[in-house]
Formats: sequence, structure tokens, C-alpha cells
Amino acid sequence: MKVIFLDSNKLDHLRNTINHDAEFKLAARYMSEDILLEADDSRCIFKVRDGVLTEINLGPSSDDHWSFSIKATAESWEKLLQSSPSPFYTGLNAGLIRGILQITGNEEVAFAYLWAMNRMLDIMRQTS
Amino acid sequence: MRLESITGKYGYITVHGVKYRVYFEESGEGVPLLCQHTAGGDGRQWRHLMNDEEVTSKYRVVAVDLPYHGRSLPPESVEWWTEEYKLTKRFFMDFLVEFSHALGLDRPVFIGCSMGGHMALDLALECPDEFRAVIGLESAEFTPGLDIIWFNHPRISGEFRFANLFESTAPSSPEKYRREVGWVYSQSAPPVFRGDLHYYSVEHNVTDQLHQIDTSRIAVYLLCGEYDFASTPEMCQQTASKIKGAKYTEMKGLGHFPVIENYELCKTYLMPILEEISKIHG
Repeated sequence: MKVIFLDSNKLDHLRNTINHDAEFKLAARYMSEDILLEADDSRCIFKVRDGVLTEINLGPSSDDHWSFSIKATAESWEKLLQSSPSPFYTGLNAGLIRGILQITGNEEVAFAYLWAMNRMLDIMRQTS
Repeated sequence: MRLESITGKYGYITVHGVKYRVYFEESGEGVPLLCQHTAGGDGRQWRHLMNDEEVTSKYRVVAVDLPYHGRSLPPESVEWWTEEYKLTKRFFMDFLVEFSHALGLDRPVFIGCSMGGHMALDLALECPDEFRAVIGLESAEFTPGLDIIWFNHPRISGEFRFANLFESTAPSSPEKYRREVGWVYSQSAPPVFRGDLHYYSVEHNVTDQLHQIDTSRIAVYLLCGEYDFASTPEMCQQTASKIKGAKYTEMKGLGHFPVIENYELCKTYLMPILEEISKIHG
């Protein structure tokens, strides 16, 4: 089973759900960032403009740039995206502290928008 | 208006030559139970415990806001705006003992969560005659690496703490209380949480001293939530195993903030301990 953010059949629904989520709208206000999500060797870019997820790019090229990346194994992403996550898989900071994932790039932006990113994770859990 | 049994007061105590105006709340009568909030938190975290008649019928429950926290302002005699706020073990410990003396508490039971849980160990080690028992929630001998700059950065708002501490709770805890954890955390003054982590993640390290704790003088109970990723059940259990006579309990379905995020579930673990203490050490 594909991690939801890499599954082309589910991306439109995911993007729509995220953009209609009241909490995400609050948490992502003023956010205009590109975020690279990596699961094993697969990657995609979430483009957020003024708090709206405008695009999920499944085929980023070497010319693409991003503010920060979140990298974990596909197995770890599946655990992170379970509807009721196990201990240490409850959010990005939990995963970071326990060595389950890595956040690289502009950490300042990543942590400034931790609320938005964790909310996105929650929506993925509900949509998976 | 329905009134709760909790009453709040302000008082003045002097620690290390500095006078502090501190806010504290209390409820109930009986064995004194001194409650210590988490890093960057305040005494509101104990509201469910302080409203629980099963507890307050046996215990005089007291929860203080440390200076700089909650309704306890920084001291008037210190130019705190010119100094980096850092909670030290010495101040933390001396403040609690001084506060206990000021209220005339007779060898209270100490209960603390997170940095309060760490303090339970420091008090058991260094002040065994001041307290009859300590209950450390989310307690560990040493939790390095958590004193990170983003907890106090000019370009990162309190929303980071709001999100960070929310995910420190168990997913099965009631959402309204998980959100309350985040709310309280987003309210502390910018330097306080990270300044408290100086104690929590840098200064507190009792790894080589745990064997010196004498549980015949002070009873030690350690409990840890299954979902705690900062001081994990494994770390807490290992800590307890180094203290002869200490009792350890893992709290299934709870995270780093058991008394706030799901008090009813936390109570199932806590009440037997409070009953045991009131019988044996009451």
C-alpha cells in the first residue's frame, strides 16, 4: 500500500480535504512554502501559497527547491499515518526526537509551522 | 454560579535573598500534597485533581505557580529583562522547601509532572526529611537533548509550543483536554519553557546517585505514560529499577500530561498510590 501523499489516486481528495479544514486554515495562515516529503526513495513536494495547498507534485525534478524536507522510511510513514498512531508516532516532533524521521533545510520555517504540518498529518490519517 | 472548592491566594516568600510574590491554589484537608507543574506550565494543570473529592477528602492539595509562571510574576527587585531566564536545580529545590515551610506543611507528599517528576527524584535524594513521599510523573534520571533553540526564538511564536505539547499527549485522550495542554503552553512568557528545560534537560542528572535514595526515609513512586516520547516508559522504568524500594507503574493510554489530558484514566493509576500513602505514611 502506498503512503497517501504518494498515491496519485488520492491526492485530489487529500488536497481538497486539507484546504477545507478549518484548523488547517488557521494554522497555515501566511504560509507560503514548498515542503519535500520523502518516503524511502520516493518524494513529492507540497506547495502551499497563502495558507492554501495549491499543488502536490509527485515528480519533483532537480530544479525544484523546497523550504524544508521531512524524511522517513515508508514503514515509518505508515505508522505515522495510522488513524490511531502508536507511541512515538503521534506527531512530527515526537518522530524527530525519537529518530523516526528527519527534518532538514530551513528548520525555523518547519517549526514555525509545526501546527499546520501536524494538522496536515492528522488529515492524512483521517483520509488514508 | 457553581463554585469549585479550589481557592487561590498570593503570598510572599524569600529565596536566595530575593522576595517573590507567588500565587498558589489549594483544596481539601488532610495529608498535605504539594503539586508541581511541568516546564512552561502552571498550577492550572492540577485542576481536576483539586476538584476530586476522593482526593480532597484525604489530602490538603496545594499547587503553586513557580515564579515567572502562571500568576506568579517575576520578582520586582530583579532586572529580569536583562538576564536570560534559566531555572536551576538549586533554586527549584530551595523554592519548594521554602514554600512548604512558609505554608507550615508537615512533610508533605510531593507530586510533580515532567520537570516536576524529575524534581521528585532530586528531592528524594537531597531532602528526604522534608517530604514523606514523592510521586514522579513522567520522571527520568536524565533527559538530554531537549533544550532546543526553537522553544525561545524571536521568529517562532507560541504556536510552536501549542503544537508541540499537543502531540505529547496520547491520541486517545479527550481532545478538549489535549487542546488545553497546548493552550496553557502557548500562554507562558517566551523564555520560560526553554529556561525550564535548562533544568529538565541539562542540569537534572541523577544517573550516578539514584542508589543513594533511601526509600525507608522517603517513599518513591514513579509513573510514566505509554505515549511519553520525552521521558519514555523505558527510561522511567530504568530509573525506578536503580532505586531500591521504588515502585514503578506504566500508565497505558496516557502521554506526557496524564493529570490534565485524561484525569479519569490517570486517577485509576494514581488513587491506589494516594490511598497507600495515606495509610502507611499518613
